[in-house]
Amino acid sequence: MDLLDLVVRWIHLVAAIVWMGHNYVNVVLRPTYQPLTVNDTPESRSERFMTYLFREHAVFRYASIVAWLTGSFLLWRRGWLIDAFTLTSYHAVIGMGAWIGTIMMLNVWFVLWPYQKKVLGFVPAAPEERVRAGRITFLSARVNTALSIPLLFFMLASQHGLSLFR
Amino acid sequence: MKTPLDSVAGTVACGVALTVILFLVVRFLMGGGSAG
Repeated sequence: MDLLDLVVRWIHLVAAIVWMGHNYVNVVLRPTYQPLTVNDTPESRSERFMTYLFREHAVFRYASIVAWLTGSFLLWRRGWLIDAFTLTSYHAVIGMGAWIGTIMMLNVWFVLWPYQKKVLGFVPAAPEERVRAGRITFLSARVNTALSIPLLFFMLASQHGLSLFR
Repeated sequence: MKTPLDSVAGTVACGVALTVILFLVVRFLMGGGSAG
């Protein structure tokens, strides 16, 4: 392991913490599903609040990309990228983690975010559509909460628990 | 429709169950876990 490897791994972990930390905070703040109503409108929020809200959501979305890119870079640099994603030999352990992380990132960008934009009022949506989008974003975020459990297991197991798989 | 993901306990249970299932899948792929 050299300095570049260590630094990229460091960035990988920080990005992952920023990303999933945001998700876990939401679990703590809203442990159960609280449906929106058609009377909950984003119009009453100030422009400054909306700016902060957009920044908050942008940070965790882009953190997911940084975590994915740095993770893939680490695998590529070791020559493990193909074996990991094809779940070949002992690389299947980190590969399963990499697949879960990939699914989670795609979930953030292609399922959660398009609906969350409507919920938060960044794009216009009818009240009924916002209520529906609120349910989808909740379930999408909770899917990532659940997926983070095996993700962390496989990330750690690839370094500290390979013997369990033999 | 309510799902297990609607509660924290259900979400954690899903995550743990998925971990066990995927652990067994990966162990199978690696040829591990055979007796003797």
